[in-house]
Amino acid sequence: MLSFLYARQSGLDDPVRLRRAESTRRVLSLKLNHNRDVDRIHGNGINTLDIEVIDGRYMLSGGSDGVIVIYDLENNSKKPQYTCKAICTVGRSSRHVHKFSVETVQWYPHDTGMFVSSSFDKTMKVWDTETLKPAEEFQFDGNVYCHHMSPVARRHSLVAALLCSVLAVGTKDPKVQLCDLKSGSRIHILQGHRGEILSVRWSPRYDHILATASTDSRVRIWDVRRASGSLFTLDQHNGDKSKVSSEAVNTAHNGRVNGLCFTADGLHLLSTGTDDRMRLWNSGTGENTLVNYGKVVNESRKGLKFTVSRGCSPEFVFVPCGSSVAVYGLHSGELITMLRGHYNNVDCCEFHPDYQELYSGGKDCNILAWVPVLRQPGIEDDETNSKRGGTQAAINPAFEDAWSSDED
Amino acid sequence: MNRKRALIADTFCLTKRRRCAADSVTGDSQADGAADIRSSLKYLVTLFSRKLFNDSLPPVVLKHQLYSLHNDKTAVDKQVNELRENGELLMFQLGFDSEAFALVFAEDYRAKVLQGEAGRGTLGTVEKFLAKLIPSCSDLSFNKEKMLKEFLFTDSEITQLVKSGVLTVRDAGSWWLSIPNSGKFIKYFIKGRKAVLGMVKKSKYGEILKTELEGRRTTSQVKFQMKYHIHDIIGAELVECIQTTSGTLLRHVDGNVN
Repeated sequence: MLSFLYARQSGLDDPVRLRRAESTRRVLSLKLNHNRDVDRIHGNGINTLDIEVIDGRYMLSGGSDGVIVIYDLENNSKKPQYTCKAICTVGRSSRHVHKFSVETVQWYPHDTGMFVSSSFDKTMKVWDTETLKPAEEFQFDGNVYCHHMSPVARRHSLVAALLCSVLAVGTKDPKVQLCDLKSGSRIHILQGHRGEILSVRWSPRYDHILATASTDSRVRIWDVRRASGSLFTLDQHNGDKSKVSSEAVNTAHNGRVNGLCFTADGLHLLSTGTDDRMRLWNSGTGENTLVNYGKVVNESRKGLKFTVSRGCSPEFVFVPCGSSVAVYGLHSGELITMLRGHYNNVDCCEFHPDYQELYSGGKDCNILAWVPVLRQPGIEDDETNSKRGGTQAAINPAFEDAWSSDED
Repeated sequence: MNRKRALIADTFCLTKRRRCAADSVTGDSQADGAADIRSSLKYLVTLFSRKLFNDSLPPVVLKHQLYSLHNDKTAVDKQVNELRENGELLMFQLGFDSEAFALVFAEDYRAKVLQGEAGRGTLGTVEKFLAKLIPSCSDLSFNKEKMLKEFLFTDSEITQLVKSGVLTVRDAGSWWLSIPNSGKFIKYFIKGRKAVLGMVKKSKYGEILKTELEGRRTTSQVKFQMKYHIHDIIGAELVECIQTTSGTLLRHVDGNVN
């Protein structure tokens, strides 16, 4: 670490290098910290978490009971022991609360005045954070599994909502509905999937590229400016049709695809499926990079929300696997560690890029904060300080000797 | 996970840390640095029991057995693909699992197939097929246009190839590449895998040391060598592999519990 600081100071190294090395070191030392806690408000499992992009201070969570909670993550008390308090909640007593489970919540990408939530009660609501009332409500015909707003969009403010349709009702196909926040209307529908769509993501690089994942084992990439269908479908065998049985040709996974995540630079896309595999794709060409992560246990019937680290040198993927969170190296595919701490299945996790912390929520109604632990404070120093009545100066252990005594 | 030593990034690590003592205790050699897949394949080939099939099958190794010998799965995949491009190795889709691929050295395959075909009328067609296949083609399955146009086979010749066992029907108009007489192999393999997994499951606490499992007496269900099956279940991640101070521990993985 000192060598990095010296190299930065003397100009040998780019400033970014020190930042990346230290971020990586912090991510590798993530542990449950007994000083950091998150208020427990939800009575039923937590389905989704989102940390706002501007300050990284407020976190939204949505639960299976339809409740939405906003937490303040910043530690303003002068003590290390801190519980992230819930500032406000849209609880069951509110008139506008969702009737069924909230599946996805997301802050408006440009400020915290607004957030959008979608739920199994077939509605998507745009909330005003100040008054906690919905400013806009979109009604749909089918359950909404996921929605996403583009984090980079300046020219448009479209929210892509996914519907699965109950196939028994009429002949409606599963479709992706694009809704415009400025006008409050639906713009157009992207059709092409043959099964329920479980996850949708806008690309963080281009504001017109969208990726969707569905139960028909396919992942499609769309350009919303075009009138025709999807740009391409991700194929796990890269066009090598000889490797599979003929029904499985051109699929991204051998089972339902239930999670999508772009890397921070938008160049790669990760997808997880119920065939217990995770795949890394080149988002420009749709090619499978064939990084082998091994068996990534995945039994989720709904979408799985996982996340990628930002600002580290080998990037890391944090995937909920059963009741723990698995950390994989993004490009190497090796399993770095498993973060164990939840009592039941983990459904969602979210990475805080400024402090390199991970928040994960699951069916046990807890949100756990995984905090980097680097140096333990010396227990000796604390004890001697309290004995002397709070003296500030602590003796550096390097200057202590074994033969002199303290009483002199 | 309780770690006595913290995880450390490569940039901070100037000297490699010594590996866990368990590996040096059991004498297992883990090839780190540049992995030599060919030597691992040759080692796995020695574990294959030839006499069981009266020498009519070439030695078959499964691709995921290599994952139990090397840490980096992506590098293993890459090197296997290189060997296939060079024409040294052939890969087959076995049929009982969409992710299980069998690997056979090309010379062994050619020798055994021709040995099995000696004296039969289909010998000529099979030779012609092998001559086309081995140097350049790395496909697992073939469909009708490819067979007719590229390889210039007639319909009757295709039927002869299916009869000889080199091709297996995949669906109307396309065929898998296959190993003749491999039905028995697959049957014994699946039975043996189930029996070994049962042994791990029935042990106290559902876990057993790898060295102890290798020493156990095999039931009549298990026809292959124990080590062959152990590499298979570790590589396919059907058991969890945990390093302990007494060696590698294999723990039964229940689908729901993690």
